Amino acid sequence: MRLLNSALVTLLTLTTFSLASSSSVLVVLDPSLDRENYSIFFGGLEKRGYNLTFRAPKDTTPAITDYGVPNYEHVILFAPDTKSYAKDITPQSLVSLLSENTNLLIALSPKQTPLTSLAAEFSLIPPPPETPLISHHPARSEPQTTIPVTVSSSSPILTPGIPPVWFTGAPHALGSTPMLVPILRAPAESFAADSTSDADSDALVTASEKGGEGLWAGSQMGLVTGFQTNVNSRVVFAGGVKMFSDEYATKELPSGGSPGNALFVTDVAAWVFQEKLKLRIDAVDHHRVGESEAPKMYTTNDEIVYTAHISAYDTETSTWKPYSGIDDLQLEFTMLDPHIRTSLPPVPGSPGAYQVQFCAPDRHGVFKFVLNWKRKGYSYLESSTTVPVVPPRHDQYPRFLSAAWPYYAGAISTSAGFFLFAALWLAGDVKGERKKGSKVE
Amino acid sequence: MPAAYPLPSDLSPVTVANTASLLRIIALALISGAAIASRLFAVINFESIIHEFDPWFNYRATKVLASQGFYEFWNWFDPTAWYPLGRVVGGTIYPGLMATSGVIYNLLHALNLPVDIRNICVLLAPGFSALTAWATYMFTKEMKDESAGLLAAAFIGIVPGYISRSVAGSYDNEAIAIFLLMFTFFAWIKALKQGSAFWGTIAAVFYFYMVAAWGGYAFITNMIPLHALVLLLMGRFTGRLYVAYSSWYAIGTLSSMQVPFVGFQPVRTSEHMAALGVFGLLQIVAFGQLVRAHVSSKQFQELLFATVISLGLIGFFGIVGLTYKGWIAPWTGRFYSLWDTGYAKKYIPIIASVSEHQPTAWPSFFMDLHFLIFLFPAGVVMCFRTLRDEHIFVIIYAVVASYFAGVMVRLMLTLTPVVCVSAAVALSTLMDTYLDPAEPSVEDDKSESSTTPTGTTSTSRPATPASSKKAKKNKEKEKEKEASASAGGVLSELVSNVTSSAAKSATTAERGVFGMDTRLVVLLNSLGLLLFFVVHCTWVTSNAYSSPSVVLSSTSSDGGKNLIDDFREAYHWLRQNTAEDAVVMSWWDYGYQIAGMADRPTLVDNNTWNNTHIATVGKAMSSPEDIAYPILRKHDVSYVLIIFGGLIGYSGDDINKFLWMVRIAQGVWPDEIQEPNYFNRGEYRVDSEASPAMRDSLMYKMSYYRFAELFGGQQPVDRVRGQHVPIQGPTLDYLEEAYTTENWIVRIYEVKKDDVLGRDLKIANAFNQGKKRKRTKPMSRRKAIGA
Repeated sequence: MRLLNSALVTLLTLTTFSLASSSSVLVVLDPSLDRENYSIFFGGLEKRGYNLTFRAPKDTTPAITDYGVPNYEHVILFAPDTKSYAKDITPQSLVSLLSENTNLLIALSPKQTPLTSLAAEFSLIPPPPETPLISHHPARSEPQTTIPVTVSSSSPILTPGIPPVWFTGAPHALGSTPMLVPILRAPAESFAADSTSDADSDALVTASEKGGEGLWAGSQMGLVTGFQTNVNSRVVFAGGVKMFSDEYATKELPSGGSPGNALFVTDVAAWVFQEKLKLRIDAVDHHRVGESEAPKMYTTNDEIVYTAHISAYDTETSTWKPYSGIDDLQLEFTMLDPHIRTSLPPVPGSPGAYQVQFCAPDRHGVFKFVLNWKRKGYSYLESSTTVPVVPPRHDQYPRFLSAAWPYYAGAISTSAGFFLFAALWLAGDVKGERKKGSKVE
Repeated sequence: MPAAYPLPSDLSPVTVANTASLLRIIALALISGAAIASRLFAVINFESIIHEFDPWFNYRATKVLASQGFYEFWNWFDPTAWYPLGRVVGGTIYPGLMATSGVIYNLLHALNLPVDIRNICVLLAPGFSALTAWATYMFTKEMKDESAGLLAAAFIGIVPGYISRSVAGSYDNEAIAIFLLMFTFFAWIKALKQGSAFWGTIAAVFYFYMVAAWGGYAFITNMIPLHALVLLLMGRFTGRLYVAYSSWYAIGTLSSMQVPFVGFQPVRTSEHMAALGVFGLLQIVAFGQLVRAHVSSKQFQELLFATVISLGLIGFFGIVGLTYKGWIAPWTGRFYSLWDTGYAKKYIPIIASVSEHQPTAWPSFFMDLHFLIFLFPAGVVMCFRTLRDEHIFVIIYAVVASYFAGVMVRLMLTLTPVVCVSAAVALSTLMDTYLDPAEPSVEDDKSESSTTPTGTTSTSRPATPASSKKAKKNKEKEKEKEASASAGGVLSELVSNVTSSAAKSATTAERGVFGMDTRLVVLLNSLGLLLFFVVHCTWVTSNAYSSPSVVLSSTSSDGGKNLIDDFREAYHWLRQNTAEDAVVMSWWDYGYQIAGMADRPTLVDNNTWNNTHIATVGKAMSSPEDIAYPILRKHDVSYVLIIFGGLIGYSGDDINKFLWMVRIAQGVWPDEIQEPNYFNRGEYRVDSEASPAMRDSLMYKMSYYRFAELFGGQQPVDRVRGQHVPIQGPTLDYLEEAYTTENWIVRIYEVKKDDVLGRDLKIANAFNQGKKRKRTKPMSRRKAIGA
């Protein structure tokens, strides 16, 4: 039964992969947001081969999942102010979508909605309701909640050199989970306040005097933050939906020039829909030096060669291509604790292969080759291969030890002595024997 | 010559001898048949199945041996046991049992008898019990005569004390070890009697077999030297002793070192030092004897004596010194626990936690030995009356084994053979006395009294019948009577005065038995005892010792039998529904069964070699979920298996063993686990009064998870503890129930994987149940300015 199920699941995943060129996306769009206002974003997606299906939050069809099987590969939730959804959209169902490898792009807003409590599960800490991000810098004609945010180019998700993007919405503080991938940070001079006037700015001052506790301000706030789950599905929380709009994509920056919104949201969508930074381990193999087959078990102190083949997804051709770009890959040889931890460098000349040779520890037990490479933005690479390491067989020990010569000499001399004694005893004359016999009596 | 009843007189001695030997052979064959048959209750009542716990490992190992050959078996590293440490099986077991089965298996297959390896394993113990009966016969024959031997063989064949470890399916080392024990002793006695290096070598070879088969070989290793030492101290040093002991020790020790698990222990551990010491002492004494035979000077002899003594002392202190230096390993904990029964509980709870290591309860002596336990001292007294070298052996064996049997339940097994032997000696003496048709002639005696050289009738009564009978009885028996007389009348009366009439006749009149009536009374009485013995043995065997403990049975109200097969149900579930490399954690009792029946890797098993690993499991079981979870994940545990008897009242469940888990964990982590925390005011409770540590422990939660649902809102009752469990049962966040068997005896839980969002599973669970999360604030990232 279980086998059948897993076969079914693999079949399903196979079919979804084959459709990758025209991935299906469900867009849950609030009726208050006009689809035409986001035509640049949606049009860009469609141009890149996504198959968009639109639906209002309260519609019951099309369903996100049927019998627990997701119908779409990606879901965009552009309903930042919606408080009530149809039954199939709950924070719980969205999390279970993620565990089924569906990716989510979620827009938040300063309002308290079910999505706000969902964000908390991802270790994003939303500010109190109705506290949008405010910044007075730079001086501009737009309201203070409409902010041009400089894009940091450090994130591998974004194309380098994106001009500042327009942003309106709520920031969020980032929790301690290492699975968070900050994409866009709030400007240093911005803060979240519960009114658009500056009346409550005193509260900020007191908060900052308390050491920053409860301070919704500064560049530690995130505006657009990604999250990669343990199963490598991705989710992006954007603080506001307007940054995806046509209006912001074309609105001129205070410093002049066009904003980076269009490029930015394309990059974000490309990451969240698994176009970018998608890696996988194709295969790992291990064997003794000088052999090619993986043995059933290793002997202590064996020289082991371990090879991992890693490839990256190439969107343009929709294929996996060998990838040698990781320079900090490490291999652990673990039994409870790592006995050996060594770097696993790429092999020059053979793309995608990473190889290391090491000596098995002088300790028998059930070991694991553990690859665990987790970097922000990239798919997690995890692999664990169990192999027993056994002590030498009875005939694998050295046959003659120089240290044992005293024992060999002892054994040989005793044998020789016994032989001599027996010979002398047997060759001895009968008289002596008689004498001895009489003595015993 | 007065006789109580006539004997046929026209038979030639050859006919008598031939008939007697034919009868002996038939009797031995019947005894073997009875020994085997009475052990088959388990197969008939249940099925041909391996019993208990350890046999499952032996069975599994035998399968490896049979399918892959001896060398693969020798080099077998089992990666599924003691995950992830693994177990070097070849070097950590006594391979004798598996090798025996393997040889039988290959032999039968060579003869084109395709017998299943399982059936060989199941029937090995009954087969060897027949051999044990034969070995006991030979041994007892050396003590007294053939008739005593036959009695001893019959006793050992059916005595429950031995059956308890050798029913069909109880495929354990003891199954063959008792035969080897008895045969080694027999060969040793034979070697000692004849001063034969040949028999000494046979003793050594069987000693080697014993070493390869059972850890209890240390009993022989110390029994024989003790015997030799006592003989030496009694001034009974002879060339025969020297030859027998030296040949046994030299060959036996060298060959025992060939067993990988034993290795250099015979020269490196204290348990074996007695044998080495006695060996050295015998050399010194023999040398002294040799020199004394050649030298006449008295001073020189005294000097020699002093040298011998000082050499002995030097040797002794040398051993002590080496022990202190660490060259010789000191006594192991198991050994200490033999002297101080509280030792194990204090220092090695893992040994004390095994029920067979508990001190023996008095009733179990009667249960296991029935009336033999009353005849046993009488037999020992008989040995004192003759007191040849071999009788000293039985006496020492009796004393030592009685002590050990009192200390540890499982050592009842080593006591049983000597009880059978001495009881047989006693009963056979009784039979000899009362079956003998000769009657003492009172008139003759009075007339003869003046002619006896010993003196007056009043003082020398014991001697007179002896002299009067001398002419008419065979000589061997005569000697015994004489010896009895010399050993003292009181003791001999104690033995032979089974009935008061006999006692009176012995004290008031001549020694001997008059008439048929007394004979019949005594003989019928002993026959009745024997009959009751057989009935008792059969009853105990069928009721107490034939349960495989893998399958339980219960009797319903109408007398029908219900089989409770939860264990196999659960193991089979694991085998069918889990990944092949899914690690199963359970308390160590069930490790071998999981490996044998479910074929899954286990964390700990009945080979309790790594206390820390067991303590880790104990800690996981006795900690709250959030502490246990990282331990489970670190050890790659996929499933946790527990035994819960609360529903049907199976008392051997994990909650009852739980305190041992706590104690063992406390031994390693005294700061984290404390036994008193699991008590509520000194009481071990599982109801609403249970202590917080108890209620939060993983074991408690897993045991009572959803237990209340069975009772439909009623107050649930734990039928083992007899306590009312709270209606609101425990909840689990880090594990989920995977399988519970029909009678809830085995419950299997699956360890949840990490949350997909990396959250703590408790929080994830709360989220899934729709609970609101507390709002959090951004963390402080910098120190307060100026603070």
